[in-house]
Amino acid sequence: MEFNWSDTEQGLREKVRALLLRELPNDWEALSRHGPGSRAQTEFSLAFCPKLAAEGLLVPHWPTEHGGRAAPPWEHFIIGEELWAAGEPRGAQYMNVNFIGQTLMRYGSVAQKAQYLPQMAAGQSIWCQGFSEPSAGSDLASLTTRAERHGDAYIVNGSKVWTSYAGLAQTCFLLARTGGPGKGGIAIFLVPMRTPGITVRPIPSLIGVGDIHEVFFDNVAVPESARLGAEGQAWPIIGYALSHERVGIARYEFSRRVLDRMVRLLQARGLFERETVKLRAGQALAACEAARMLVYRVVDQRARGLPPSADANLARVAVVAADNAVADFCVNYLSDTLSGDDFPLHLSHHERAIAAGVASGAAEIQLNLIAHDYLQLPREARP
Amino acid sequence: MNFELSEDQRAVLDAVDRLVERHRTTLAVPERCHYSVELERALEAVGFFDCMTIEELGTVTACASVMAVARLPLCAEAAASSLIAPWLCPELPRPFALLWNRDDAPTRYLPVARTVIRVRGDSVDVASIGTEHVKHVDSIFAYPMGVLRSASSLPWRTLPNADATRVRNFWRIALAAEITGCLDAALASVLEHVKDRRQFGRPLGSFQAVQHRLAECATLVEGAKWLTLKAASTGTALDAALAAGRAQDIATRISYDLHQFMGAMGLTLEHPLHRWTYRTKLLRADLGGPDSQLIAAAQAAWPETHRNAIEGIAS
Repeated sequence: MEFNWSDTEQGLREKVRALLLRELPNDWEALSRHGPGSRAQTEFSLAFCPKLAAEGLLVPHWPTEHGGRAAPPWEHFIIGEELWAAGEPRGAQYMNVNFIGQTLMRYGSVAQKAQYLPQMAAGQSIWCQGFSEPSAGSDLASLTTRAERHGDAYIVNGSKVWTSYAGLAQTCFLLARTGGPGKGGIAIFLVPMRTPGITVRPIPSLIGVGDIHEVFFDNVAVPESARLGAEGQAWPIIGYALSHERVGIARYEFSRRVLDRMVRLLQARGLFERETVKLRAGQALAACEAARMLVYRVVDQRARGLPPSADANLARVAVVAADNAVADFCVNYLSDTLSGDDFPLHLSHHERAIAAGVASGAAEIQLNLIAHDYLQLPREARP
Repeated sequence: MNFELSEDQRAVLDAVDRLVERHRTTLAVPERCHYSVELERALEAVGFFDCMTIEELGTVTACASVMAVARLPLCAEAAASSLIAPWLCPELPRPFALLWNRDDAPTRYLPVARTVIRVRGDSVDVASIGTEHVKHVDSIFAYPMGVLRSASSLPWRTLPNADATRVRNFWRIALAAEITGCLDAALASVLEHVKDRRQFGRPLGSFQAVQHRLAECATLVEGAKWLTLKAASTGTALDAALAAGRAQDIATRISYDLHQFMGAMGLTLEHPLHRWTYRTKLLRADLGGPDSQLIAAAQAAWPETHRNAIEGIAS
């Protein structure tokens, strides 16, 4: 066992930090206030990601044939920690490198890989996930958006909701029903967002301007070649994608950095001498570091080539708790920083914490999965 | 970063597990506490307490072994023997009892200890004791508990180069290992129960209300376990305080849930859950309890000496 970073890993971290110092503008915290989906951050990402790519820091974990150098998963996580904690200058493109790219590599056709992976590796590609629907959130397998086959194309009708980053996305990773009910009737389509019949409407939200949207599909024609995998084969592909997504975002690192900043502010204000404040800070710190260990365990398994396991669900639950512990600490002792715009980092952290337990599958779904897959408890009878 | 045990570590821990399993006896007489001299001697005979000083095994193996012993419903003094004595006082006879600041408090393992270690301020003292020096104390905590009859008359010897801070660090790691071991075993026993026990025509463990709370318990225990192993590996004051503080802080909530799901069975002395619960309660209170550890962690993470450098942030 080794819980310290190697010189190579530490060197990589320093390289990313140096690049951030060089590339992030002075007003970056204000610019990134509304998160990866905002227009400002998306536009920034389209200039920033090519620079990352040029330094070999965008897709180092990808195989060489797709522009990477087959670096260990740890390297991708170190980069992810530094970038997410800095407010995610990759914008929505973090999704490409965390899980969409890997999913296309594993399940995509030769043509799909050739069409999409080079754009991702060049840092010029914005995607959204067409998953949740008005009547299918946690119960994703009940989705009703239909893709009806007509010759060598599909006609898609239906709607998606709470879709992150859809406003500026070029491509949608879309789930639609081609067959009967349940998991076995779903297929995945890679759909250009400029396809006629797609309408995107932003949803005013608590989690930053430009983050979540409604997406309507009205007789949208999608060629068969845009289908990822076979009809009815979506569920294992989704499982693969989600196993990478669940521990993809280094939320614990962002929370830890924000907590560090909060404590320094309290120290500067002379308010960190109170033992209760230290105690609460210690509790939030312990929550962050426990979450970090559970995430690292998943990365370690991935680095050793082990298949995805329920450990990722434990990590996700711990990360949600850590995010909220830090956000609550801020409300307790620095609530003044959550009004006005002097502390944009506190605000963006607070908003992401409230979303942490909901986005990419509710924390309660993670608890279900832990109960069944990790604790081997019997499934609850369903009506 | 590497979470995998080495082959040597794995082999030793497997051997510890096998040895521990042989002592997982169902006790004929229900009792609050059972101290196993047999287990303690068996552990000593195979050199279990020397892991920390063997380079290929190290503190991580010692810590994981302490966790393994804590999983048993019976107890044996392993924490001080594995994580303190090997570097502090390897020549002294075991079992050990540790006294922090007070030498008149009821203390676990005193009735079986042959050496008592006392930490007062920066001073670390040791004394050899026998049963004649200790008064057994009846206790709800599932350890053999005793008080020194006359602490001042013991032949105390101050260890000249002993570092009290280091003793505290490793004691924190030991506490974290014991608590996570106890919680892990208690959780496993409750999982077994809720899979078997049927109410309303189905297993208790099929109710989502039960599942979610147990899933949260498992997440908390696993997180604490890895913080503990990390602390054993790095040995830093921050990691040690964080591991102990976290383990002590989560213990109450987990013990509550586990007893809820064990129901009245968990109130009996027949089922061993009470042993893990009550050992955890005492461990939770050690070294000033979770508040002391978490405040120490905060002080280690954010020393005030940094303050001058960051004054500008407030403006």
